[in-house]
Amino acid sequence: MNTLLKCVQNFRFNVFKQTKHLSIYPALRVKEIQEKETNNELVISGKILESGREPYLLKNEHPEACPVCASGLQIKHTDVLILSQFMRSTGGMLPRRITGLCRRSQKYISSLVIMANKAGLMPHLKPANSHKDPKMRRGWKKYNKYFYESTIKIK
Amino acid sequence: MSQLKRVQQWATFARVWHIYDAAWQNPFQSAELLKKYLMGMHKPIYHPMNDCGDHVIVINTADVALPGDEWKKRVYFHHTGYPGGASWTLAWELHKKNPTMVMKKAVYNSMDRSLQRRYTMERLHLYPDANVPLNLLENVSNQIKQLRPKPKRLDEYKEEEVREFPKLIDLPKSYIVE
Repeated sequence: MNTLLKCVQNFRFNVFKQTKHLSIYPALRVKEIQEKETNNELVISGKILESGREPYLLKNEHPEACPVCASGLQIKHTDVLILSQFMRSTGGMLPRRITGLCRRSQKYISSLVIMANKAGLMPHLKPANSHKDPKMRRGWKKYNKYFYESTIKIK
Repeated sequence: MSQLKRVQQWATFARVWHIYDAAWQNPFQSAELLKKYLMGMHKPIYHPMNDCGDHVIVINTADVALPGDEWKKRVYFHHTGYPGGASWTLAWELHKKNPTMVMKKAVYNSMDRSLQRRYTMERLHLYPDANVPLNLLENVSNQIKQLRPKPKRLDEYKEEEVREFPKLIDLPKSYIVE
């Protein structure tokens, strides 16, 4: 019975191993997928792009610390030029494996991102189907509001 | 009387007109500031029985800001005097009905109750937007500084300003653009 089970497990494992190479995104480290159609031929190519941030990167004086801690900045929720560096185009916070922040900074910055979104300071970083203008929100949410950073609770 | 003293005396006893932009300001913190100008408490000759207050024009009261979720937490109470005549109105509902009322009540409640309070309120001119009658605007000789800076939205910056702002992190090579 055991050997039979092992056989089945091995078979399943092998199947998964075979299908694994079909996942193109993380394995091939592609930044942008380009599709080109010419003469009924669809050419799909992956291209690694520059992020455009290299010339403007701050030098990290303390490489053992995360970039936010090392900068020593007191970031507020109105500092949208800083917060937008940690955000997706749909308005959410990037995960920690991409931002590379420490646990504490990641939580602090994501709270600030939520505050800035609620205050309507980044109206164009939103999903396509949402109201981009904060004045279009319902009820009390359409009126101007601000936040105190001291209300963020982190250990 | 020297020239300086004469001008100082004139400036003290004249009713000066101030203007205040309430956009993105807390109305209750602003009220504590405005009441000093309305009652004349910033003048050396101030006395409660001395009618020396100034005029204040408040513009953009429709754009006042409250902290957190105070728009739905702050409640205004009114009673008609009849049984069952009590009503509770949320701050955002009052603001929707009359965009100057939250600011007006904030200033009114910030002052101690006295016979002078109604007359002091007559010197407060509230406007929901920046459209002020010209006959009032031509009197203005001072602007009261805002308590908190008006936040700038991300889409109000130019593209190159956003692109060339110093960056804290770089995206990893494996990041897929959305």
